[in-house]
Amino acid sequence: MAIIERPSTPAVVGAGAGAPAVVTPSQAYGVLRRPVAATGWRSWVFTVDHKKLGIMYGVVSLFFFLVGGFEALLIRLQLAGPEGTVLSAGLYNEMFTMHATTMVFLFVMPMAAAFANYLVPLQIGARDVAFPRINAFGFWCFLAGAIFINTSWFLGGAADGGWFMYQPNANALFSPSHGIDFWGLGLQITGIASLTGAVNLIVTILNMRAPGMSLMKMPIFTWMILVIQFLLLFAMPVITVALFLLMFQREFGATFFDVSAGADPLLWQHLFWIFGHPEVYIIVLPGFGIVSEVLPVFARKPLFGYRFVVFSGAAIGFVGWGVWAHHMFASGLGPVSVAVFSVATMLIAIPTGVKIVNWTMTLWGGKIWFSTAMLFAIGLIVEFTIGGLSGVTHAVAPSDTQQTDTYYIVAHFHYTIFGGAVLGLFAGFYYWWPKIFGKRLSESLGKWNFWLMIIGMNLTFGPMHIIGLQGQPRRMMNWTEARAGEGFFNLGFWNRVASVGSLILAVGVAFFIVNIWVTHRPSSKTPKSELDPWDARSLEWITQNPPKEHNFDSIPTVHALDEFFHRKYEVDHDTGEVTKVASAEEILAAEEAKADHHIHLPSPSYWPIILAFSLPVMGYGVIFNRFLIVAGALGVLLAMFGWALEPSVADDSDYDPPAEGGSNKELATIG
Amino acid sequence: MSRRDTRLPARRRRTLGAVVAGAAALVLGGCAQDAPQDTWQPAGDNAQKIHDLQWPVFLVAGVIGVIVLAVVAFAVVRFRDRGQPMPEQSHGKPALEIALTILPALILVGVGIPTVSTVFDLAEEADTECIINVTGQQWWWEYDYPVQDGCGGISAPIVTSGQLVIPADTNVLLRLTSRDVIHSFWIPKLNGKKDTVPGRVHTLRMQADEPGIYAGQCTEFCGLSHANMKMEAVALFPADFQTWVANQLEDYQAPAEGSLAAEGEATFTANCAYCHQVNGLTTTAPDGSVTPVLANPDEFVVSGAAPNLTNLMTRNTFAGATWDLLTEECRDRVWNAPPEEFGERYLAGVSADCLNEVDLREWIRNAPAKKPMYATADQAANSGGKFRGMPALGLNESQIDQIIAYLLERH
Repeated sequence: MAIIERPSTPAVVGAGAGAPAVVTPSQAYGVLRRPVAATGWRSWVFTVDHKKLGIMYGVVSLFFFLVGGFEALLIRLQLAGPEGTVLSAGLYNEMFTMHATTMVFLFVMPMAAAFANYLVPLQIGARDVAFPRINAFGFWCFLAGAIFINTSWFLGGAADGGWFMYQPNANALFSPSHGIDFWGLGLQITGIASLTGAVNLIVTILNMRAPGMSLMKMPIFTWMILVIQFLLLFAMPVITVALFLLMFQREFGATFFDVSAGADPLLWQHLFWIFGHPEVYIIVLPGFGIVSEVLPVFARKPLFGYRFVVFSGAAIGFVGWGVWAHHMFASGLGPVSVAVFSVATMLIAIPTGVKIVNWTMTLWGGKIWFSTAMLFAIGLIVEFTIGGLSGVTHAVAPSDTQQTDTYYIVAHFHYTIFGGAVLGLFAGFYYWWPKIFGKRLSESLGKWNFWLMIIGMNLTFGPMHIIGLQGQPRRMMNWTEARAGEGFFNLGFWNRVASVGSLILAVGVAFFIVNIWVTHRPSSKTPKSELDPWDARSLEWITQNPPKEHNFDSIPTVHALDEFFHRKYEVDHDTGEVTKVASAEEILAAEEAKADHHIHLPSPSYWPIILAFSLPVMGYGVIFNRFLIVAGALGVLLAMFGWALEPSVADDSDYDPPAEGGSNKELATIG
Repeated sequence: MSRRDTRLPARRRRTLGAVVAGAAALVLGGCAQDAPQDTWQPAGDNAQKIHDLQWPVFLVAGVIGVIVLAVVAFAVVRFRDRGQPMPEQSHGKPALEIALTILPALILVGVGIPTVSTVFDLAEEADTECIINVTGQQWWWEYDYPVQDGCGGISAPIVTSGQLVIPADTNVLLRLTSRDVIHSFWIPKLNGKKDTVPGRVHTLRMQADEPGIYAGQCTEFCGLSHANMKMEAVALFPADFQTWVANQLEDYQAPAEGSLAAEGEATFTANCAYCHQVNGLTTTAPDGSVTPVLANPDEFVVSGAAPNLTNLMTRNTFAGATWDLLTEECRDRVWNAPPEEFGERYLAGVSADCLNEVDLREWIRNAPAKKPMYATADQAANSGGKFRGMPALGLNESQIDQIIAYLLERH
């Protein structure tokens, strides 16, 4: 276990320089007690528990999903008719910039982090992640950055340069509000969350798997999360550098992209897309991982070609680094680069196609249970296939020069991101809800949720193929009758259809919110979920719903891929016959019977949240008053020292009344 | 010309292509009748090359899509839970996996080879017959025709905006750049788009089979009035193009003395000529000395440029091709002209009867109210006192009358 235990003997530092200095980390240095409360708001704000952090990631990103959705509805309202006047030109530009920023950075990425945080330790049989306080720090950085970016709405206007902020249009000269400063600094802060999360999860997955779980016996969701963390690990530094250059260019008069100083604005595009293309796989692979879990469970057979799915995921992650310039086919790279990136882009269609084949073949010959989670998963196969195929049409570079920056591209990436990532996340909501909250969401409301979202998304994004091929560029605050054409494919009709579709989509999402309310409101009659509501296959189900704070009473030993399934069922290898040999309750009881008696969990801490919220103070300082930078930096320094000197486990005296028998509490007191 | 011989079979191929593409379009929602920026209705060689490449890809993608969706639909219906026993716990069939990996790879090789050859084809510059420089800035395009033997011969530089006039059936090479942010030049019926990047010159081939107007639009997000940065390419028979060139290079015609237009010339000189060049416009000092009026937009505008208005009324649009200079009726007459009559109708320019005075008047009265720009005094404070677009000049109605009368003579 990588959870750090309190050393029982004093550690020696500085040996060799005369008298060795002795440090005993168990000593309390602060004046405040450790926030060890197990209930109430303090138990959330200062928690280092991966499950609580996962839930908080989920709640915050769900909120921002609604914010981003509201921004999208305003955009569709503006474009519902010709010469729309709902938003001014400036506000419209802020709206589409923030819609993309919110959905990508404040919804899909952190929602994937929510699932990863909650589920990865459970899926690999660990009691927490490797670095629990860093995990908490990551979450608070995400929240601090998200709030910081969105305060720009009230402090002079949000970013208005489009989410890829092309230079020089994103310079202070052309975008004089502070919106882009908020955007750049805020994404730096949320970027810390991604980077620390990546390091944390890679270490966790590589080091903390249950005994017997070799990499090729690891649940596929955890595999995809591992691939994503490597993408993040290498992609975040690139955008970090780019955002620093942007900040220096806007705030301190640097000239990294300035033509008059001999620089080239295309440098920004390369930096952005070297991050930006892996980013699209960072966004979509969690959804792939989720459906690769959901499909086998509800088809009652293993994932078809597990190894192919793993390796195709890794291949996507790898080739994803070599295709960034396909976002720049029209920016004048010259025919050699265009040809190379065009072919590389086609290559990535192959591993992606492998996944679709495997999902389909998983259904084949199965015994399909159409739960809401399964519907979303099947929806993903269908919608993502459409998005993938339209992607092939613009891997063809000359064809892309007709399509790029039109609504055809908007249609394409919404089919991949909404159809791929978001439908996957919704499949995950319905599938793991009973695991996380102990109750199933209503299946009948879930069906409404699913069908309205599917109908809504196809009505919203489907017509955008037509609108784009008819020549309507994206990012236009309005369209005119003069260029709308007539007949079946006229822009006016299809723009209206897309706007109506967006309302249906919104109602579909509202059903999800209603479903949560109906399930969890105080007067709800929804019963507690069964232990194994879906007849699931993987390790996270060999524990209670919701899991105890320490996840597993005893760490299960793994013998097979789909460990839980193989404990429940016996497969006759000659006849292929499957017989149930144990119930989930029996399996859990057997595990609990051999419970570990000394379980060490790290204690909560003030420092992650203090450190994280010092960063936006520095951000405001960069924008408004340089003294605030110093104030924020002092907060950072204080929190870093506090953190460094804090033992991982709370001292007995931190408890009220003080704990007896040492802080290595018996199972009973933590459970 | 030998080009004509090669074009006829190309047309026949197009008809065939159009039939097949039509079927694909029904599936994929592509081709349509009338939107002027339809990307599936090529009207020149370059766009045609793209189209010849793209429609089979759409077709193949469509067919694969239908197959995948059919298989999924079949599996979902066939293997639904009907109380059957637990299925066999099969972990996959490597042979099938490998086959279904190789098959798409082969299809992509089939797509990749013509893609690469078309990419190089479209980057060819050796067959250029005419060169035009195109410069983007917030939020309009400037077209300048350098002195050359190409384009049928241009003896003095021509600077214009609003409409890119090109000789039909000629390989034109556009040299694209920008004065401020990145824009993108796109006339869908003639070719794909190409970004215009400050500090760089990109080239883009243009060729129109027949005379006519081809609509386009800036497609790289370029700030506040991105939606109002449009363009039109006008193709004329080479003979008509020569007429147009000669017209652009005609000497300045001063308005008749004492006319409203003559008052307009003075008002224009006093209010507009700081930024807008009219070639040949002069002022006469009290001592009788005549000096040319030279615009100096560098001092007033961030991009350092404003449209040259020497021959404004030979164009059909203004303010970044966002508004028509022609009334709707006259505009339709030009846009719907058959190719053989198009040149004559276009070269007639904008007459007093056809002038869309409403929009032009509003524009001169208060441009920023009509087109979102950073053109008020406070907004200019952020950019060293320079505007981005035309500010409100505070002219009274009679001054506007004068200016319109003056501009109407800019043929």
